[in-house]
Amino acid sequence: MARNCIVVNLDRCTGCFGCEVACKMENGVALGERWSKVLTVGPVGEYPNMTRYALPTMCQQCESAPCVSVCPTGASYRDEKTGIVLVDKEKCIGCKYCMMACPYGVRSWNTAERCVEKCTLCGHLTSQDKVPACVKSCAAGARFYGDLDDPSSAAAQELAKYDDADIHTLQDAGNNPATRYIMTSMIGQWQERVEPKGHPHTAAYPMAE
Amino acid sequence: MSQATLTRRGFLKSTAAMGAVAALGISAADSLTAVDPAHADEASDVKIYKTSCRACIASCAVLAHVRDGRVVKIEGNPESPMSQGGVCAKGLAGIQALYHPNRNKYPMRRVGERGGNQWERISWADALTEVATKINEISDKYGSEAISVSTGGGGNPHFSNVKRFGEAINTPNVWEPGCSQCYLPRMGASLLAYGAGKPNNLSFSDSNGWDYYYTDSPVTSLVLWGTDPSNSSVATGGRALAELRCRPQGLRTVVIDPRYTLDAAKAEVWLPIRPGTDAALLLTWTRWILENEKYDEEFCRTWTNMPYLINPETRLTLKATEAGLPGTDEDYVIWDPASNAPVVVTYPFNEGVAAPLFGTYEVNGMQCPTGGQLLKESCEEWTLEKGAEICWLDADQIERALEIYTDPNGQSGIMQGVCIDQYVQSQQCALGALNLEFLMGNVEKPGTMLQKFAPAPCKDQLGNTPRLLSKEKVLKRCGTIEHKGILCWDMAHIPSVFKAMKDGDPYQIHMWIERSGNKHVVLGNSSCLDEIVPKLDYVVQCFMYPTAFSVLCADLLLPTTEWLETNLTIPQLNTIVMRQAVTHLFETVEEGIIWTQIVQKCAELGNEHCPKAFDEAACMTTPFYKNEYEKQKQHLNKLEMSWDEACEQGVIQWATPEEYRTYQTYLADDPENPGKPKGFGTPSKKLEVYCESNIILGRTGAPWSQCAEEKPLVLPPASADYEPLCYYVEPAESPLTDTEYPLVLTEGRLPMYHHGTLRNIPYLREIYPVPEMWIHPADAEKYGIADGQWVNIESRRGKTHGMAHVTTAIAKGVVYQERFWAPELLDSDDPAQAYKVMNINVLTKNDPPYNPEYGTYTLRGFQVKVSPSDDEILDSVWVRPEQFQPWMPAPSDATEDVFDYGA
Repeated sequence: MARNCIVVNLDRCTGCFGCEVACKMENGVALGERWSKVLTVGPVGEYPNMTRYALPTMCQQCESAPCVSVCPTGASYRDEKTGIVLVDKEKCIGCKYCMMACPYGVRSWNTAERCVEKCTLCGHLTSQDKVPACVKSCAAGARFYGDLDDPSSAAAQELAKYDDADIHTLQDAGNNPATRYIMTSMIGQWQERVEPKGHPHTAAYPMAE
Repeated sequence: MSQATLTRRGFLKSTAAMGAVAALGISAADSLTAVDPAHADEASDVKIYKTSCRACIASCAVLAHVRDGRVVKIEGNPESPMSQGGVCAKGLAGIQALYHPNRNKYPMRRVGERGGNQWERISWADALTEVATKINEISDKYGSEAISVSTGGGGNPHFSNVKRFGEAINTPNVWEPGCSQCYLPRMGASLLAYGAGKPNNLSFSDSNGWDYYYTDSPVTSLVLWGTDPSNSSVATGGRALAELRCRPQGLRTVVIDPRYTLDAAKAEVWLPIRPGTDAALLLTWTRWILENEKYDEEFCRTWTNMPYLINPETRLTLKATEAGLPGTDEDYVIWDPASNAPVVVTYPFNEGVAAPLFGTYEVNGMQCPTGGQLLKESCEEWTLEKGAEICWLDADQIERALEIYTDPNGQSGIMQGVCIDQYVQSQQCALGALNLEFLMGNVEKPGTMLQKFAPAPCKDQLGNTPRLLSKEKVLKRCGTIEHKGILCWDMAHIPSVFKAMKDGDPYQIHMWIERSGNKHVVLGNSSCLDEIVPKLDYVVQCFMYPTAFSVLCADLLLPTTEWLETNLTIPQLNTIVMRQAVTHLFETVEEGIIWTQIVQKCAELGNEHCPKAFDEAACMTTPFYKNEYEKQKQHLNKLEMSWDEACEQGVIQWATPEEYRTYQTYLADDPENPGKPKGFGTPSKKLEVYCESNIILGRTGAPWSQCAEEKPLVLPPASADYEPLCYYVEPAESPLTDTEYPLVLTEGRLPMYHHGTLRNIPYLREIYPVPEMWIHPADAEKYGIADGQWVNIESRRGKTHGMAHVTTAIAKGVVYQERFWAPELLDSDDPAQAYKVMNINVLTKNDPPYNPEYGTYTLRGFQVKVSPSDDEILDSVWVRPEQFQPWMPAPSDATEDVFDYGA
């Protein structure tokens, strides 16, 4: 099955929040709700050896997606054709188990429709051979879409330029996220996990215990 | 025309107020319900227009998707060689700006007292008559200099035309809060020392550094000196750096910034400099380069004035006549060690003469140092240790940075940011940085920052008409005898204009026409407006939406267009990116058209000066356009196609990259002196390391002083000579001596806002609802401040607030906060809080000392104190995303343009 996802090259990312806004404009995401969110990691370390980077997050398209396995109605499911994890809003009863199960806090509660939503990889665009809105307009050319198993995909081609040591995933608790982050020593040390803090822009991804 | 009076709570409720208008038949909802369903299907085709953003100055190429006359989507246009299809949060949110429910929709006249926020709608005809009548009355009664005109870089300006407007109505008192505080110092220094600067200078975020947009540029390292392209030019400069860093060969960078920006985080060396001490570090770098002989000696000898002897009596280059040598008073003199005697320079340089760059030589009874010798003496005390001490840096890290910059196997360049334009040493820092580039020979080579690539055939700035003003008027321009550098932009000195407004010194200014949004957010010590505005008879504001300035100061509001309603040509490298109006809403009018309409109305009502603005002979350059058609023709300039054809292409490649990238233009044959190289645009055709042009500027106003009768117009000298070389002065408020206000403040850009704009955009405010005040953990502990807590920030000028962000991303002893305001408080009982509650410019300093050349006041590098805050007003500031709901877009149908197109 295809492993469609977004690859983010953090060496390129400037932390402009354009992906957040592109996503919201394209998908009509309400105020206070986000399918795509940019976190800031760091600074960690002591001068002059410090690490700080922007970390754009979105549904990581886990191979063993906890959101799918906990969903009592099948609303969270994996699309057979594309391999993409999606939410069937008709079936969602709003129990939010999936939001609790998601290790990365990238599911979003739609207050108006009382259901869970998340990044669809802009299925309405990718089904027409277009790229997701956040990829199309990324100001730094840092986002790439495609099937990791298809060497001709933009995502796979970007990854192929880098050593394995420079390719990372968010902390994997056995869920095997597909989304890859490229980050080299130019930026510093990849942070496996950063403790969430109260401040909205210093919080990293909250982890399920 | 109907008259709708908005009540005190008018702006937030303006959707409702305009509901009355909508009932007359122009409401979006009404027109949709009237559409036949079959017709609606047919009309729902999306047309994609190629246009360009103006949420900031980068002007990235975008694709605007328009359905049924409404903009429904914005994407990047990959055809732009700069933004390459990227577009940042600001641009993507353009739809929310366009359809903001609180757009200024119609001309509005204030009803009741200033600050009362009561308005009545008037027609454009009435508005123009009212403004023109006031201009003519005040001009007749007090003189036209009693009218002041201002603009700014934020909010879709038609930038140079505000000067054209000022000159057309015969006032020299045009100004903007940038200018001496943003870009002019870097541009002006470059014009003087390099002989080019518009736009060839060291500011990357003003879309220079063109070679760096090509990944085959041989650049190997860059110094980002107080600039953060990732924030300030996201999709152009930020993108370019991302591309360069990701080449196989990479890009080594040094970042000099009190903040650990995301650019700093990618740098090999970060120097967290103390704000206000850039000149000290520049002198340290200069000394190290000279001492370690890292400079390009042959280039310095041939192409700079370092070997030129300086006359100690005049402080200018020694001339042949003064040296007792055969030649003229335009011939320069060097020392010939072979003959142990002075010789006259044979341009470009005397063959076989190994003229020394350094040393002092006796000529005609005078001890004459070389330009290089004076440079060396200027930085003599600035050892690495001294620089590190003054700048709060580590000497080893400074040296590491220098080794990267001077790597003999690489090609480097300096990008100098706006920080140095924002305090008293603006010109000194600009000259100091240019000298580093000159010493290293980083001039017009492949991979250098300074370039003179081929100019585009179109014009984004139409240029102004300085020679419309008589000598009498030019001499009345506020503050420019002392600060002659401002004449480079034909503008006035802001504190001097304010003195005239407030105290009538040297004469009373009675009227202010303003276009840039929120002067309270962008001016230093902006609370000073409280005392100034009551002295004014009439204040006009042109903008897209109401601001604190509208409520507190304006008597008449004129609605201007958003960028999606605007036409312009934008040169981007070897292409032209077109901006085209893809819709038009309500009765908004593009600023440039407002200006010409007012001038035409003044003329119609009997103003005798205004007709000259349309007369080429009187302007001595292209005269004012009368309508949109003429304006477009002037912007197209030499581009031989119609506006529609140009817009259809959207991004027009007028040269190949190879044709465009013209290196070392100074070596090209000079058509006026065949067989000789053209040289640089300075009087000596050399790079002025010893910038005598700066001295001459202060003494006479040359090369920028001009008027109707004379060019050059020789002005009386400033009170003291402008210095030809960089020097350091400790900031007037210094952490070394200040015990009451212990922390140094710096500002700096955010990627989702530009200047004072966009704080009313829901999708942007929810990302960054209130300004963060960055403070180091050691300082936070000292002052009892917790992360995420509201704090008071106080200076000798006032008090404001910020949200503490406790982080090691800021140097110890320094706090950082960016400009901000709270549009949500315009409707409160105390509308002044809209600008006061969290605006760093309540704290900044607009009193002396000023920069000698440009009169720059102090926006960074002054002293503040901080403390936890529980001020009640903070409860009124919107911080939760759902609070921004009233500002979500209210799309409406396109309307006809207000004024005739003209062809």
